[in-house]
Amino acid sequence: MAKTEDPDVLIIGSGAAGGMAAWALTKLGVRCLMLDAGPMVDPDRDRTLMSAHELPYRGFGKPGRFPHVTQASEFDANLWADEKQNPYTYAPNEPYYWVRIRMLGGKTVRWGRASWRLSDYEFRARDHDGFGDNWPIRYADLASYYDRVEPLFHVSGRNDGLPQLPDGNLTPDTSPDSASIRRFIAAARAAGIPTTKPRRAGGALASSANLLLPEAVATGRLTIVPNAVVREISVDPKTGLASGAWFVDRRSKRDYQVTARAVVLGASCLESTRILLNSRPRQWPEGLGNRSGTLGRYLFDQFYIKGVVECVVPEARGGAGGRDLMGGAGYIARFRNLEKREAKFLRGYAYDFSSGGTPSARILPLYGEPLLKELDAVRGAGFSMTTMGEVLPRRENHVRINAAVKDEWGIPVLHISQKYTENEHEMAKDAREVAVELCRQAGFEVLASHAQMVPPGESIHELGACRMGEDPKTSMLNRFNQCHEVNNLLVVDGSSFVTGGSQNPTLTILALSLRASEHLAGRMRRAEL
Amino acid sequence: MRRRRWIQSALALPAAVALPSPAAAQQTARQSQEEGLGLVPTPPDAVAYGLRRFFTVEQFAALEKLAEILVPAVGGRPGAKDARVTEFLDFLIRESSPERQELYRAGLDSLNREAARLYQKLFSGIDAAEAGRLLAPLGEAWAYQSPADPRARFLRQAREDILRATLNSREWAESASSRRGGAGTSYYWRSLD
Repeated sequence: MAKTEDPDVLIIGSGAAGGMAAWALTKLGVRCLMLDAGPMVDPDRDRTLMSAHELPYRGFGKPGRFPHVTQASEFDANLWADEKQNPYTYAPNEPYYWVRIRMLGGKTVRWGRASWRLSDYEFRARDHDGFGDNWPIRYADLASYYDRVEPLFHVSGRNDGLPQLPDGNLTPDTSPDSASIRRFIAAARAAGIPTTKPRRAGGALASSANLLLPEAVATGRLTIVPNAVVREISVDPKTGLASGAWFVDRRSKRDYQVTARAVVLGASCLESTRILLNSRPRQWPEGLGNRSGTLGRYLFDQFYIKGVVECVVPEARGGAGGRDLMGGAGYIARFRNLEKREAKFLRGYAYDFSSGGTPSARILPLYGEPLLKELDAVRGAGFSMTTMGEVLPRRENHVRINAAVKDEWGIPVLHISQKYTENEHEMAKDAREVAVELCRQAGFEVLASHAQMVPPGESIHELGACRMGEDPKTSMLNRFNQCHEVNNLLVVDGSSFVTGGSQNPTLTILALSLRASEHLAGRMRRAEL
Repeated sequence: MRRRRWIQSALALPAAVALPSPAAAQQTARQSQEEGLGLVPTPPDAVAYGLRRFFTVEQFAALEKLAEILVPAVGGRPGAKDARVTEFLDFLIRESSPERQELYRAGLDSLNREAARLYQKLFSGIDAAEAGRLLAPLGEAWAYQSPADPRARFLRQAREDILRATLNSREWAESASSRRGGAGTSYYWRSLD
């Protein structure tokens, strides 16, 4: 693409949202320019096998480098966005853990790959329990896009016909369950709680960088500019339409401007919101497209309770747990507040469970030789669960620009304000009690349990803040992720969610981006833009 | 072992010839390949002792004793002392936040004070049976919240750090009988800039 030739569409971000947009648009003949804030990564070139003892900090990592990225290890520290270069603020009593990756492929370079569909329990949540708002779409509107996205990401799993977890277009997972997993499933079934196999994207990388972008580039219609830190969206003052973006080269800090007929924002929930809040043309002094005052509000995520219960399968002690007894994993979809209403909380939570790990030494009340012997005895005999709970979208949970603090490139940062409420705390207590009871019924030895949610943000499932909706007074985007007030601007990442359920959101981001991008291509083809 | 590796490095001999350890051989072969010039780099802690820079002599001695008690050498596997964990933690804590530094300093001082009160000697001078009374908080059932008592909080953190530093050590990796439970290998991502 020549420098003077404007692209049809400017895509900001290259992860699940931006990558899917590029894949869909270029296949439909649309010429795209993609900006990403980080470098281009080549796993073959950029990583090598090492032992922990070869690292400068023996695998502990450089102290203080990532105060909020608990997922970072010394092995992968260079993947995560540097917190000093990319600061943000929050009130001292409201810690928020904003976890970012800035590189081509975005967070799909390092995601957990869990790939679940939302259901109408989420899309029509208000209809179900009266809280909050419905999405402007139903499950039926998105189902065919889920159908197409799952094979692209080689999602495997098992269809069980659960209304709260719609069946998918999956590579069937017919692997047998180990005896410990079967015992747990039986205990859950006796309690009226259905289980299923994990649903996971497959392949060596399972990233936008290898599954989406190469095909888009192969069309000859995608130009990728890495290291392009977008400062704001530009607007044509005559038409009020988005005209492109101003960005800074990450390395040289040189400023650039780029123009396009339409802009697709997919820089991640909070980065997209930040870009819009920092874009303040005369018509929109509170942020682009934000006459409603909704931009930045209704921020939510999913709370996690890591290791809500840690157990030992008694028969597997002392190395007795072979592959027939130990190993494998599963998932419990939301089972609360489907038919029967809970008294203490709305919505529900899900569990991941897995067999065959080794319980953490920190939960064993031992030291010295007894500790080392016990660790040997329980090696491979562990059974553990993690809770993922729905967080209610509330208007008061929000982000705004903190102009007093700027990032490495002089761009004002976000101030984030999100708190969990009684609803989440009650749900967490219930999740702990149920997990312990199921494990006891399965005959497992419960070593430890707790109901401590990780701080908001740490699940890396931040959602909302630029949500969809029928009403422009209470939402930013219409049913096709198009900005109500700027109709050639789309926001296709997790910021567009109205509710999130307890399902990992990436598959829904992919499906939404595919749907919105194909709709955009249709409008461009019909010269509606 | 250290001396052998130093000689190997100095003479630029192929690692597989000089070192019997498969882990070390694999490491040096890979490094050699990366360097591309046939030169074999050796990390400093393979040939030298790390210097004490953070803890006082008394604190360092208490930590060394604590590490020896919490993670002893068992069944042919190296313990914290073999893995030179105290040296490493002196470095790690020096680099850490003021809160973590204070947790360690106050915790070690507390062990020394209590040992002096109970046994009229520093913690480094007591035996394992005597230490049991001071380390009793480690026998309490685990709870998610950190203990309110500062010494109990320190002991919990120190046990975790000492065990991890032992399992992630070169000595643990090179001990054939201790492969299980170690941190193993993983992909290291180079700086991407």
